[in-house]
Amino acid sequence: MTRPPPLLEVAALTRHYAVPRGMLRAKGLVRALDGVSFSLHEGATLAVVGESGCGKSTLARQVTMIERPTAGDIRLLGEDVVHADRATLKRLRPVVQMVFQNPYASLNPRKNVGTLLEEPLRINTDLDATARRDAAQAMLAKVGLRPEHYQRYPHMFSGGQRQRIAVGRSLMPGPRLLVADEPVSALDVSIQAQVLNLLMDLQQELGVAYLFISHNLQVVRHIADAVAVMYLGRIVEYGPKAMVFQRPAHPYTRALLASTPSIGAGARRQRGVLTGDLPSPLNPPPGCAFHKRCGYAVERCRGEAPKLEALGDVQVACHRAAELAA
Amino acid sequence: MALLEIEGLTVEFGEVRAPLLAVDDVSLSMDNGEIVGCVGESGSGKSVTALAIMGLIDFPGRVRAKRLAFAGHDLLGMRDARRRALVGKDIAMIFQDPLASLNPCFTVAYQLAEALRVHGTAAERRSARVRRDRALELLQQVEIPDAEARLNAFPHQLSGGMAQRVMIAMAIACRPRLLIADEPTTALDVTVQAQVLDLLCRLQQQQGMALLLITHDLAVVAETAQRVAVMYAGRQVETGPVPGIFAAPQHPYTQALLAALPEHNRDRARLNAIPGVVPGQRDRPAGCLLSPRCDYATQLCNDESPALEGAPGRQVRCHFPLDGEGRPTRGWMPMMHAAAGAD
Repeated sequence: MTRPPPLLEVAALTRHYAVPRGMLRAKGLVRALDGVSFSLHEGATLAVVGESGCGKSTLARQVTMIERPTAGDIRLLGEDVVHADRATLKRLRPVVQMVFQNPYASLNPRKNVGTLLEEPLRINTDLDATARRDAAQAMLAKVGLRPEHYQRYPHMFSGGQRQRIAVGRSLMPGPRLLVADEPVSALDVSIQAQVLNLLMDLQQELGVAYLFISHNLQVVRHIADAVAVMYLGRIVEYGPKAMVFQRPAHPYTRALLASTPSIGAGARRQRGVLTGDLPSPLNPPPGCAFHKRCGYAVERCRGEAPKLEALGDVQVACHRAAELAA
Repeated sequence: MALLEIEGLTVEFGEVRAPLLAVDDVSLSMDNGEIVGCVGESGSGKSVTALAIMGLIDFPGRVRAKRLAFAGHDLLGMRDARRRALVGKDIAMIFQDPLASLNPCFTVAYQLAEALRVHGTAAERRSARVRRDRALELLQQVEIPDAEARLNAFPHQLSGGMAQRVMIAMAIACRPRLLIADEPTTALDVTVQAQVLDLLCRLQQQQGMALLLITHDLAVVAETAQRVAVMYAGRQVETGPVPGIFAAPQHPYTQALLAALPEHNRDRARLNAIPGVVPGQRDRPAGCLLSPRCDYATQLCNDESPALEGAPGRQVRCHFPLDGEGRPTRGWMPMMHAAAGAD
């Protein structure tokens, strides 16, 4: 059986930032993304997990066409995004939309909900005012808000309702892919569940794909189809959710899972499986970037960076993955 | 005698005639060397409770309590100078955002020594040399790598996890008997969070201090605390031992909160969300605060606020507390369920 071509295909995506370090010193180079590859099909959810500084948000900025990558390839609906001209980008942008972490910061406090929802249409389509208004009202109903909310301003809503508005706004241009950068991290547990349910309902209804960026493994475990674990600008493990969670192959994935607090696991188990902090992306260690915190590191890990290679159903970047899986 | 006794603690802000009850009738006691968790969503009054214990609620906030005592001393009745001698020495606190809590203008060593200069032993108060040695010892105790070099570091040179370790070092500098940790790991990455929680538990055991762990994360409490108080909209709804309270919650809010966790919804399409939102200042229900969002709310719940009942150590504030199976008791019947205005 041949699968349809993926909605989004990312190959060897690289994004470096030059960081000035004072007048007389050479500029530093942050390898925020270093050869990231994955693909995402229509209506599916890929979760990107990792700690702060691992490049999750940089990835979102490349996929949403906010920045152009340093190297590599992004194909959206089969079209080359990296070298696209302005007209192509304008045509493609409505296909990918974004939801941000903090709904208190992502909504303009001086615009009412109607204006916020209609803005993407005003910019990207030539619908008249009535049609835009109808579309906005329909979207309010879809994200579980009431028609009278149309006139209200963001400060009159709670965090969960604001995130509903933000999700609704991102869906206005009819995207095929929604990039959600920590969409529920700022919300309380009870509200988080509401918003996650909404996202899953919308996916069923509209068939939109999610690139779901999160540090919360419990949430990812619930919502994702596939998981990519990132560490310092690289994917260290990538595969179907069930495989990654049940049989994590990379030592970092294992550590992440062991560090995640859980109610079921019983009280006071050994938690601190990792020592030390994430290394500075300005000065990453040679070889495998994880080797200084890894309990399984051997001589080879210090000198040679592992490549992402298939191991069963998942892809792992670890010299000892096959050995550890046995 | 309990180390910390809180009975009927109320903190209100705003106008006297229409006050905002940030904390409403909270009662809690802690023994020496005990870890107690305090969980709740934003606006549940957990941080304000901690600030009230520390005496950090400024005018126009008003703190009242039937009893608020530390090691037998009444905290509300004592003179300010006496309270200042206690707070920071015997009761210490760490906050959520370590980089916002540290002064960016001073080195780690200076800020550590500051607490010692005020509250330290006679030798520490006298000699800068002794203070510096003690500061180094403290950094080693909280497992900061290369502690000697970190003494002269400024806060911006530290990572989040390291800054929180410095905050912890500062808090334990005077060997407190009670440490209040307000969301100590919320700003940290999950692997660093695990390290910091381990460190807190280890220090708690080594020094035999009591730890009041305030967090929104039920799982953190489940793995760390011995007892837990669940807060909702300023009121304490349930108090009980861990893990018993998680296995058989007696309050519908605790039950719903647990059910909303993705962890408890494996292989299910939808999460069990709690409908509606936490009531604000102006839309506080007359009866039980949870009644508009509760699956079991009856007319009684809408009209009358339940009292905190039960044996010490296992208390619940509900007209129809849940049994071991998670069903409401005391004659609750499905037809009593008044379809409360859920969102």
